[in-house]
Amino acid sequence: MPEQERTLGRIEVSLTAIASIVNEAVLTCYGVVGTAAKDLTTGIANLLSRDSKRGIEVRVKDGRIIVDVYVIIEYGTRIVAVARSVMNVVQFSVERALSVPVAEVNVHVEGLRISDID
Amino acid sequence: MTDENLSAATRPSPRLTTNGQGFKRLFRAALAWLQHHQTAINVLNVYPVPDGDTGTNMVLTMQSAWAEIEDSPERNVGQIAHQMAHGALMGARGNSGVILSQIWRGFARSLDDKDDYCAQDLAAACREASATAYRGVVKPVEGTILTVARAIADTATRQAEETEDLVHMLEHMVFAAHEAVVLTPSLLPVLREAGVVDAGGQGLFIILEGMLRYMRGEPVAEDARLIAAVDLVTTELQPGEAGYGYDVQFLIVGQELDVDAIRQRIIEMGECPLVVGDPTTAKVHVHVPDPGVPISYGASLGSLRDVVVEDMQAQYQDFIVERDLPLSPSPQSPQDIGVVVVVLGDGLARVFQSLGVSSIVRGGQTMNPSTQDLLEAIENLSAERVILLPNNSNVIMAAEQAGALSSKPVAIIPSRSIPQGIAALLAINYQGDFETNVATMTSAIEEVETGEVTTATRSATINGVEVADGHIIGLHNDELKVTGATVEEVVQALLREMNAAQHEIITLYYGEAVSGSDASALASLLRQDWPDQEVEVVTGGQSHYHYILSVE
Repeated sequence: MPEQERTLGRIEVSLTAIASIVNEAVLTCYGVVGTAAKDLTTGIANLLSRDSKRGIEVRVKDGRIIVDVYVIIEYGTRIVAVARSVMNVVQFSVERALSVPVAEVNVHVEGLRISDID
Repeated sequence: MTDENLSAATRPSPRLTTNGQGFKRLFRAALAWLQHHQTAINVLNVYPVPDGDTGTNMVLTMQSAWAEIEDSPERNVGQIAHQMAHGALMGARGNSGVILSQIWRGFARSLDDKDDYCAQDLAAACREASATAYRGVVKPVEGTILTVARAIADTATRQAEETEDLVHMLEHMVFAAHEAVVLTPSLLPVLREAGVVDAGGQGLFIILEGMLRYMRGEPVAEDARLIAAVDLVTTELQPGEAGYGYDVQFLIVGQELDVDAIRQRIIEMGECPLVVGDPTTAKVHVHVPDPGVPISYGASLGSLRDVVVEDMQAQYQDFIVERDLPLSPSPQSPQDIGVVVVVLGDGLARVFQSLGVSSIVRGGQTMNPSTQDLLEAIENLSAERVILLPNNSNVIMAAEQAGALSSKPVAIIPSRSIPQGIAALLAINYQGDFETNVATMTSAIEEVETGEVTTATRSATINGVEVADGHIIGLHNDELKVTGATVEEVVQALLREMNAAQHEIITLYYGEAVSGSDASALASLLRQDWPDQEVEVVTGGQSHYHYILSVE
């Protein structure tokens, strides 16, 4: 849990709170149409509901934040470009909100949503 | 791409349909126009991540799309659109590139397999483009390229009810895009704070505007005449009502700093507060009307470091000015004019490089470059027009052939020697146009006298001068004038022949066979004999010629 010593006490930001920031960032990220539970082996692609953070994992290692996001991406977008944009946006949003460095953003593409057939 | 290809002569009678090849031409114009604005768009990029690459990403995505259709003879507009959309998808770069690829994807899907599109088809395609773009994100953010895409679709739909003329329709779409871009700061706070409009939205507007310019027969290609035309939509929001005030930043270094308490105080002082740090160092950033307030407060807590105070009104003005500046011509070479020189010798090559030539072809008296060498140098330049300095009478003919073979306009300045080439380069006016520069450079070469000192390779009598094998000879403007036993003797005689007393500057370019100390020794000798002239010594490194002299 990232925390900074203060003369008056400590500020703790829970991992869940960080996950919320990540979730908000990911959902405004173009090309991402949902997050998905990590083990999607059953094939039930749970397209996300807005408050869900099940596709987001946040860990802290040596005072640095590591984020794993499991996303569903719109079929027909360039996946690598979308994933890179997820990394940028997540890093930017978290660092702006917390001023704590983000060490890694790992994007796991769990599925594609096919809304249009070209 | 050249203007002739891109600008149709006059506005044609109403355009009712566009086929595949017609769309290709529109697309190419859009890409050229976007490239023209690329840097300006990059400057606007603050959302979602302020990394200043939106213009570049959109251009790269469009280029990838263009590459897919560039050579296609397909006349079916649906097919062309699908190929183009495929290219955009494959080459999508960055957030804005991905969105743009989705816009084209929807556009292509709607056109399906149509031979050409009419106003109604175009409106439907714009609607599908917008809808497809919106489907790509869970939470669409307004005030971005998405908003602009939807505004374009709405207007296209309305216009298609009223007109069949595609040019007329596009005019309205461009206008609507412009309006939507202007409004982006009112929809997206981060844009408002930065005092910019959305970069991606701006890019989409530019793409449509490029198409419209083509349809109207206006130029879009990168061109000196268009420098003034980089005219982006700007925000209509005035600098904050409370005035921009000052942007204040500093570090407080102290002990047991209470970052939260500092933040609380700073928040009360002004706008855009940012306080981060730890008990020993705190970084403070805030916008305030009076910079003294936060600074005094900071100084009361510890020692201040890296204090930066900037007048934001001035910053805003600078930003506006900078944004309005055309892509400035590089100081090295005039806008879209490239200079190719022929030169032998490393020292001389460096001299020419320092004068800003674009390309150097190695060659000279005994090693004439081929027409092919020169042609390659010309064609490899990105510049659209090329000035070629042969710097040797034996190279002029090859230069003229290369100029005639090139697809670019090439002007040969008939410089017959290195000093003439240098004189010509010094005469370039970086603000002037091509024709004026060619004229000034050509007259400049007449104003310098050239002397060359070399060793005769055979015995002969030329121009009444008897030369023995192994003698040192001096040429004035390519004509054999003097001969002698030593280099020094010939240099002196040659300078008299060149009437150096009537000039101001004597320059010695010493060749590879001459040592630097020998050259300096000769120069001091010359300074005694020619007290009224300045004598300069330059490493030429040329072969065959002991010295090349210029007087001017």
